[in-house]
Amino acid sequence: MAHQAHAYHMVDPSPWPLTGAIAALLLTSGTAIWFHFHSLVLVTAGMILLILTMIQWWRDIIREGTFQGHHTPPVQKGLRYGMILFITSEVFFFLGFFWAFYHSSLAPTPELGGCWPPTGIITLDPFEVPLLNTAVLLASGVTVTWAHHSIMEGERKQAIQSLTLTILLGFYFTFLQAMEYYEAPFTIADGVYGSTFFVATGFHGLHVIIGSTFLAVCLLRQIQYHFTSQHHFGFEAAAWYWHFVDVVWLFLYVSIYWWGS
Amino acid sequence: MLSWKAGLRFMPQEQSKPLDLKMAEDIATKLQNYRTAPFDARFPNQNQTRNCFYNYLDYHRCQKSLDAKGVDTAPCDWYKRVYKSLCPMSWIQKWDDQRAEGTFPGKI
Repeated sequence: MAHQAHAYHMVDPSPWPLTGAIAALLLTSGTAIWFHFHSLVLVTAGMILLILTMIQWWRDIIREGTFQGHHTPPVQKGLRYGMILFITSEVFFFLGFFWAFYHSSLAPTPELGGCWPPTGIITLDPFEVPLLNTAVLLASGVTVTWAHHSIMEGERKQAIQSLTLTILLGFYFTFLQAMEYYEAPFTIADGVYGSTFFVATGFHGLHVIIGSTFLAVCLLRQIQYHFTSQHHFGFEAAAWYWHFVDVVWLFLYVSIYWWGS
Repeated sequence: MLSWKAGLRFMPQEQSKPLDLKMAEDIATKLQNYRTAPFDARFPNQNQTRNCFYNYLDYHRCQKSLDAKGVDTAPCDWYKRVYKSLCPMSWIQKWDDQRAEGTFPGKI
């Protein structure tokens, strides 16, 4: 009977890359259609297809790794490289928005009054909710590290508690930010200040939601005994992503909220 | 750090006059000899937008503060000459309209 004579994972044929590509097409064309013809049909179909693709693709990876044993050490190494490269690409994504912010704020034009913050902009006090948000994310970094150590030491209950706490802190951040967005005295349409503020913090908030979802999936997997004390890469990837989100916030806080106020 | 030029202050230049009279004479001579905006080391590069804008601001700030003190605003004319030399007329027009409307973003 034929069997593989190597430690790598030759993946079975899967429809999810195709559905993902179709979803990308529907999202892009759908956005254009929405802008010009006010129809949300294509973009909604794209979102549904994207979510279904993600759920089923990652579910299959869990099946292949956790249940079928395909994630040998070299395979796991490849997954680690992959996650690190992905996070690196996200760093560059945010770098662009920081570039935009510093371009406009270091040399404010006459249209803004030659000053930063621009004339007429009432900035948020960096020592109120934004400082609380910083504390919340830093605390969540501590709890996620606690969760990691709990998993490595085989402490099931503590792992579940600390991971739950991390996710709750993530939700608290999102809730506080949503309140700030609602109450802010300026909008995205308020010149370059509004644009840089809401695009940078908005994408960050989206990443917090993505990171919280990733951690929530890890919590469900931990409850269902997927992780061992030696092998729990899904959790490590989520923790790396979470730390990345925290670091981006720190830069946002220092640059936009504090220096930019 | 003290340079040798600091000593120039103590050199007898003319018969002593009141300082504000000397300054007014100096500015009058400078305005008389004005041809165009001189090199300003604060704005060394090709883009002179900031040069124009700051002189516009400085003229109006000078006007405002000297008016408030009830002093002759002639020294402010230097800034006016500079911004008139440097700024596009459409900008000056736009800023003057904004000031009249109360929507000028600069701090005067």
